[in-house]
Parts: sequence; structure tokens; C-alpha cells
Amino acid sequence: MQPHPVFSAIRRNRVAAAVIAVQISLTLAILCNALFIIQQRLALSARSTGTDEPDLFAIANEWVGTVADPIARVRADLALLRSLPGVAGAYVTNSYPLTGSGNGQQLSLDPLQLHAAPAALYSGDEQTLRTLGLRLIAGRNFRTEEVANFGLFDNPRPPALIITQALARKLFPAGDGLGRGVYMEGQRVKTPIIGIVTRLQVPWTTISGWGSAWSDSSIIVPFRDVSPSAYYIVRARPGQLSTLMKIAPRRLIALNHDRVINRVQSFEQARAEVYRDDRGLAVILAVVCAVLLIVTAFGIVGLTSYWVAQRRQQIGIRRALGATRLAIVRHFQAENLIIVSTGAIAGIALGVGANLWMVSTFATARLPLIYLLAGTAVVLGLGQLAALRPALRAASVPPAEATRTV
Amino acid sequence: MLRMSHLSKVYRTEVIETYALRDFSVHVKEGEFVAVTGPSGSGKTTFLTIAGLLEDFSSGEYWLDGVDTRGMNDRQRSRLRNEKIGFVFQSFNLIPDLNVFDNIDVPLRYRGMGGAERKRRIHAVLERVGLTSRMRHYPAQMSGGQQQRVAIARALVGEPRLLLADEPTGNLDTHMAHGVMELLEELHRGGATLVMVTHDPELAAHAQRQVHIIDGTILELSAEGAAAGQPVAIAPART
Amino acid sequence: MFGYYLSLTLRGVRRNPVLTALIISAIGVGIGASMTTFAVFRAMNGDPIAYKASQLYVPQIQNWDPNIHSQNSSAQPDGLSDQLSYIDAVALMRAHAASRQTALYETRSVLTPPDPQLLPFQIGTRAGYADLFAMFDVPFAYGGPWSAADDAAHAPVAVISRALNDKIFGGGDSVGKVLRLDGQDYRVVGVLRDWKPVPRYYDLQDPFGIEPDDVFMPFTRAIDQHKLARESSNCSGGEPPASGWSGWLQSECVWLQFWVELPTAADAARYRTFLHHYAQDQQRSGRFHWAARTQLRDLRQWLSYEHVVSDEVRILVVVGFGFLLVCLVNAMGLMLARVLFRSSDTGVRRALGANRGAVFAQGVIEAAVFGAGGAILGVLLTALGLAGLRALLSREALVLARTDLPQIGMSIALAIAAAVAAGLYPAWRAARVQPALQLRVR
Repeated sequence: MQPHPVFSAIRRNRVAAAVIAVQISLTLAILCNALFIIQQRLALSARSTGTDEPDLFAIANEWVGTVADPIARVRADLALLRSLPGVAGAYVTNSYPLTGSGNGQQLSLDPLQLHAAPAALYSGDEQTLRTLGLRLIAGRNFRTEEVANFGLFDNPRPPALIITQALARKLFPAGDGLGRGVYMEGQRVKTPIIGIVTRLQVPWTTISGWGSAWSDSSIIVPFRDVSPSAYYIVRARPGQLSTLMKIAPRRLIALNHDRVINRVQSFEQARAEVYRDDRGLAVILAVVCAVLLIVTAFGIVGLTSYWVAQRRQQIGIRRALGATRLAIVRHFQAENLIIVSTGAIAGIALGVGANLWMVSTFATARLPLIYLLAGTAVVLGLGQLAALRPALRAASVPPAEATRTV
Repeated sequence: MLRMSHLSKVYRTEVIETYALRDFSVHVKEGEFVAVTGPSGSGKTTFLTIAGLLEDFSSGEYWLDGVDTRGMNDRQRSRLRNEKIGFVFQSFNLIPDLNVFDNIDVPLRYRGMGGAERKRRIHAVLERVGLTSRMRHYPAQMSGGQQQRVAIARALVGEPRLLLADEPTGNLDTHMAHGVMELLEELHRGGATLVMVTHDPELAAHAQRQVHIIDGTILELSAEGAAAGQPVAIAPART
Repeated sequence: MFGYYLSLTLRGVRRNPVLTALIISAIGVGIGASMTTFAVFRAMNGDPIAYKASQLYVPQIQNWDPNIHSQNSSAQPDGLSDQLSYIDAVALMRAHAASRQTALYETRSVLTPPDPQLLPFQIGTRAGYADLFAMFDVPFAYGGPWSAADDAAHAPVAVISRALNDKIFGGGDSVGKVLRLDGQDYRVVGVLRDWKPVPRYYDLQDPFGIEPDDVFMPFTRAIDQHKLARESSNCSGGEPPASGWSGWLQSECVWLQFWVELPTAADAARYRTFLHHYAQDQQRSGRFHWAARTQLRDLRQWLSYEHVVSDEVRILVVVGFGFLLVCLVNAMGLMLARVLFRSSDTGVRRALGANRGAVFAQGVIEAAVFGAGGAILGVLLTALGLAGLRALLSREALVLARTDLPQIGMSIALAIAAAVAAGLYPAWRAARVQPALQLRVR
């Protein structure tokens, strides 16, 4: 099968070939980038928080008006929660992963904070590690006496810190963080690191916003949050989650009416909500890609069919001269391959260009080669598949067509 | 009516120069019925397309009904074609999407004629070819002979000065061919100027005058030669 | 001739319905996709107070050491924070360098309903000065804003939204009634009509109003009551605040929005100068150890500076229009195939007297008809698309993207224009068909 007749055939029908090539190039450019974005967003929403999510839920509690004895109230609430059957641990805190909002801190080895590592700040007590299911790889948990009460606008220096492994590696690349001290923002005295846990994600979950560059850097401070608005995190024993989510708030209100339970949310619900946009975008892009491929495929079928119809006599002549059906099919498939490949080359350039533009505008990541390759493979396959039916129709043109004059 | 002087039509490609018509001169008077014969590839089709203003020519002159067509642009040529010429093709060339009425309607539309006038003309011309009952039918629903008659009706509806026919009976069986030729002769008797291209000497014999084209040049045939089916005159016709 | 070409197109459809369906589908799908994303973008990128946009301004002051300010702070790329500290806000209010001005922040209140059977619940609260109602043209159903005297007196007064009025008081004129917020009594002085500017330009942390402003109260009162700002406060640029509410107020933490109304360009220039002098004063007094840096942006500049439209939506808009482009190229290819399939008929028409212009016009009209068909499909698909987006994305990303009349009009215009653009080349090719006697074999 010589290439030459294929090229000359394409040259004679330049515009139709160009139409297909342009569609292919645009489709490929969109496809590569869309697949990449889909993968990014799905990977983002699949990240583990480091906690035992299926068993955890949070109660958003707020006191009505100014309260005279917040410490006593919080103590009473915690005692109640910890006493409920089915509860395997509870504590009070300012924030938890997957909320999308929380407090941040900066840790530094120097008091002037010239080289500081940012981290999310979670307040907790001696039950926090157990409740969340965090695993210590070094050091120890807080002791009850280390835990201080922490109201709104209190800004004491914590006596100890538990930090995540990722943060420890950043501050102490040599791996000797345990026992060492760090300066927190505005403090003149170091705080010692008494424990390192494997993983605890920051509350912020956007792909390129606040916290995305250090999403595994978190610290836990031994503070009992007694500010007017805080979260109770409760760990349920397996199977008890849904029951507890109903009972716990009711019992809390029964204990003390002067409060508002703004929300009761399981960690799994929080995950679904906070990643909703990311997953939604992935679905939308997947649908767009599918429709795009269908539209392009139909376009190829349409134009190739027209070509075949225009060249019936030519095909008949070839057949009369001895070309087999297979040779005819191969000819049209080859034509299609060349056109689609040309479009694909343009599409790769376009796709890379589009990606570079997105990198500068949206701060997304650069497109890895694998997506260009995968996209090209898909588009080539699609082209060949779409051209198959018209090619088969061409192959069925009888040699007698050669003799038709009108 | 139709006067060509030293007309040439050249097809130029990168390598070859082909003369389809070479120093071609012919004069068809009003009311004449001329048959144009010649072997295939002789240029008789080219002659017809140029006569019908379907193509431009390379050099020479072509006067149609007293109008010099040299240097005309597409718009002028289309208008002249629309007003002065009626075509009858071998393969009828009716538009399959349209019914008989709408097919005949086409040339009138490009004349910008009003609806009532168009309707009147179409009805008149359909009656003339005897197909009034088929007005709403589609070409696919009719026989070859009927389709050709519709084509003739279409050629007539604009009241052209010149009828150009290209193998009008080529796709018809003997019976239908006979009917069509009768119609054409009737039109000629009514005063129409008719130029018919054919390769069938029997059909050519129906005409008043025969013109033979070989290798892009023209030979005139005498009446006796026409009867015998042989070209007699050697010298090219002069105007 | 237009009517003639129209009827020809419709008859041509009957001959090759599949091809026509593909062309119209291609156009319709392209329009549907692009208009869906554009509708969202339009809603998010709206200019809700366009007539006043050039009179409302936001001042910014650099109150953090630019040398120490690390890349981790959430300041804008130009290094300025988009909120003010309490010190600066109060100072600006006191200086009264603009005809109307307000400091603003969003907070929450716990409302105890009059009916003791109902549990207390949290509502969104906006604290500001009386001027804000005039500045933002907030419409009142009953009553009006509180007075400047109320601001000065830190009075427990409130303006409530229509929704809250309906919920708590069952609608009607509730001016004078008492509202119990955070265990305190507030007197209602005004009830608003439905008011939801999109985006909520004065609060760019929650521009789509996920948490609506149910109650407005005087800024001074909110400060008195130690009401904490709901949105992100940022202290990373300076010393951490001393403990307690007063420590918070005295800190360099930024947590307040500030708006001024400057009717003329001269006023704006004057304010800019004032702002700069203020910053220089702070430098002189030792509060700032760096060169004074300030900025004054009007509403439009502010909206673009704050990137109100989310990245997801921007990506979708780009994808939407890329999709449209593919669909149009597709439609052009199919229209070309259609034209070329028909070239023998076109040849006949030419022979019968159609000049090139007539054939071209016919092709363009055909393309317009396909555009109209695509428009109908596109409008339906847009409605479907918006419903789909609403199901898949959170309200925050989507808000209020509705299929309204201007949207439909735009879709139809775009569909026809795009179809005609795509149809130009096929029409031109059709016009180039030679008038023909019969199919010639060259």
C-alpha cells in the first residue's frame, strides 16, 4: 500500500481534511487538559485526613449571649458526652479537617520568624489523639495537667505541641524534631514538641488556595476551647454513629438550654460537602469530553461518507484494476490516520499552550506527558473507529462503478 | 440570434494546453433548427456550454440576440442566461427535492417575478407539454419521458429566445424519444430557435441544418450530405 | 427571495434529515454548553450597582511590615491586605473625609424568637454605620435606617430583612417591635424589601450570600458587644494581638471592610491624598516602620481585584467556548458536505440563471435557518445544563444563574451568528460551482 495516492487524495480535498484536523486538534487540546483536571480534582477529594472518618462527627455549639461560667459549662458538656454509651472519645476544639475554615499559625526556629513554616492550629486535650484516631510515631500524648482553658482572645503560649510528621520534616530535615522547641507567632520563648503524629490534614481543602501548599502541616495545642462558639468532636463506636448523632445534641440541650446547636455533621458528610465542587467539576468535564468525542466522531463519519460518495467511480476503477476490498478499507483508514495525526500534532501544541495559560491564570499544575499521550491515543482510536463505517461502505463499491458515466 | 466569430476555448494546465474549440465560427438565425453532431471529445459539448453562457471563452466573439457577451461578469451572464436561453439536458436535471411546479418555477424566481405571474406562466407551459395533472408530483414519481417534458416546460417558461438541447432523448426509450422530438419540432414550428446537440444521425435529420464539429473546428453539412449522413463540405463555414 | 430560500431550506431538510439533524445538533449542543457556562459567569461577574459603581470606593492601607510579611499571609499579590484593622477603620471614620462612609463586618447573632416554644437560632448579622443604607441604595419596605445619633450612642437598634420579618413577626410593619439578639433587646427601626445584589460586592468573603444578612446593627453597638467577625481575620503580618477584646481591637489584625462614597473624580483625588497623608502620619508616629503605602479602588476595580468568579467557573467558561468552537467547525464540515452533495442541483440552478451572489445568499440563509434550529435546541440544553450544574456544584459556585430573557436573546443571536459564520465558507464553495449541463468527467 503506497502512501502516495493517499496524500494526493487528501490534497485534492484539502478543506474537508482541514475541517477534520481542526476538530481533532481542538478536541485533543480540551481532552488532555480536562482529563488532567479531572484527575487532579479526584485525587484532591480522595486525600485522607489522617483521622478515622467513618466514626467521627462534630457538634457546632454556641452559647446564647454572654456566659458567666464557660469553663464549667464546657467541662459539663464534655463529661456528658464522654459518658454516653457508644462514645469512644470526645473533646472540644476550634476546628477540624474538612470544614474549610480554621486557624493558622506560623512556626519558626528563629524568634523573628524570618523563615517560618505555616501550619493549621487545632486545639485539643488528652483525648484528642484517641478520638481522632491519630497515631503517634514519636513522643507522647498530652497530660491532663498540661491542658489549659482557652477563651476568646486569650493568647497564652502553649506548654507543649504535637505536630504532624510533614511539618516536623520541614522544620527539622535531619529528623530530630522530638523534644526540640519552636517559636510560635509573637512568642519570645520556644515551645517544645512532645509528640509527632503521622498525619493530620489542615481544614482548608481548595486546590490552590490558602493552605494548599502545606496541607499536611498541622499542630495540636493543649487548649480546651471555652470560647462562645466551638465544636465538640465525638468518636462513636462502630455502628453507633447515626444514633449518637441524634442523641448527643438532645442530651446537650437537655443539660443546658442556653445554647444553639448550629449543626451536627459527620466527617463523611463534611467530606462530601467540602469536595462537592471538585467532584462536580470532574463530572462536568467528563460529560463534556464524552459529548465532544461523540460530536467529533459524527463529524468524521459525515465528511468521510461524503468523500466516499464523491469518489465512487474512482473506487470502482481501483477495484476493477485488482484492488481487494481490504486494500480499499486500508486506503481510507490511512487517509484518516494521516489527517487525524496532523490534527493531533496541532492539538498537542494547542493543549500545551492552553495548559501554560491556565498555569499562569489559575495556578494549576503543568500538564504531564502521560495525558498528552493518552489523549492522542484516544483521538487516533476515535478517528479510526469513526472512519471505519464509511471505509467499509467504500469497500463495498462494485468494480462496475468504474464504467458509470453519469 | 447566435453568432460566434473566431471563438477559441483553451484549457490550460501546468503542462498541457488543450484547445477545446479552435477558431470556431458559426451563425444561427432566428427560427432555425440546427443539429450539432460530432464524435465524442470533439468539442460539441463545449460549444453548447459556451453558447449557453455556462462558460467563458478564451478569445473571439460571441453575440447572443444582438448582445456582445465578451467580458461579461458572472452576474450579467447569469441574467442573460436566465432571460434568453432555455436548456434541455440529457439527464433531465430536475431538482429532486422539488415537485414539478417548483422545478419549473426556478428560472422565474431568479427573474424576480411576482407570484401571480409565475403561477400563470407555469400553468400555461404545463398545459402546453400536457402535464397539468402532474403538477404536484415529484420527479421520482414520473417516467423518463415525463421528466424530460417537465424539463422542456422549465426551459420554456421564461419565454427564451434560444433553446439549447443536449442529447434530449439520450436517456429515453424509442417511444418516449419520439414524443419528445415531436414536442421539439412543434416548438420549432411555433417560431422557436433550437440548437440540438446529438450523436444520433437519425435525430439530426429532423433538423433544418446540420453542423459537424471535429477537433474543435466546425464543418457545415449540406442538405444532401445530411440525408446521407456524411459530411460533404471540406472547408470550414464562413460567416 | 428570502422566503424562497427559506422554503428551499425546509424542503432540503426533508431530503437529508440525518445530515440536517447532525448540523442542528452540533450547533445546539455547542450553544447549550457555552451559554450554560456563560450564564453562570454572567451571574457571578455581574455589576449589581452599575449606576453607582464609579462612586463607591474601598481604601487599603499597608499596616504590615512588607519585609517580614511572608508569602503565607493571605494578602493580595500586590502585598496589600483587602481588609482594615480596627485602629485604621475608626480613624478613617473619625476623619470623615468622604461625604458618606462606613466600616462594615459580618458577624453572627443568636436570635431568641418571641415564641418560647421555638429554639433560639443563629442568624447572619452585618454591623455597619447608618450611611451604608444610602450608599448601597438598600430598599426599605417599612421604616428606615437608624440615625447617626444612634451610631454615636451605640444604640441597640436593628434593621431586619424581609425574610426574617416574615419568619419572626409574620410579615407586616414591624417597626418598633423588639428583637432579642444574644440575650439583648434590640428595637427594629426598619424592614427591608427583598434585596440580594449579586455578587454581594461589599462582602467578598461570601459574595454569593450563602449566609444572608438577616439583621443590620450599628457597628459601634457590635463592637460594644464584642461581636466577633465571622470571616477570615488575618494577623499574620504583624505582632499577634494582646489578649482580650481590647487587645484584639488594638492589634494590627485586619478584619474590617470599609467603603466610602465619592461622587466626583475630584472627591476621589482628594480622598486619595488624605489616605496617603494618614498613612504617612502613622509612619511619623512610629506605628509603621515602612514607607506609607495606600490604595483606593472603585467598585469595578475592586471586583476584578478580588477575583469574585471562582476558578472552577472560569475553567468551565473556557471549556464551554472551546466546545462551541469544535461544534462550529463540525457544523461547517457537515454543511460543506451538504453543499457539495448538492452541487449538481446547484449547477442546474446556475444554468437556469442564478448568479453566484444568489447561490451564496441561499447558502447563508440556509445556515441562518440551521442557526435558528440550533438556537431552540441550545436554549433547551442551556436550561438543562444549568439544572445539571446546580445539582453538581454547590450553591456558592452557581448562584442565581437563571434562564432569563436577555440570556435567551443572547443564545439565539449567538446561534444564528455562529451558524452563519460557519456557513460562510460552504456557501462560498457552493457559489463557486460551475453552471452545468450534466456531470462532467474531467
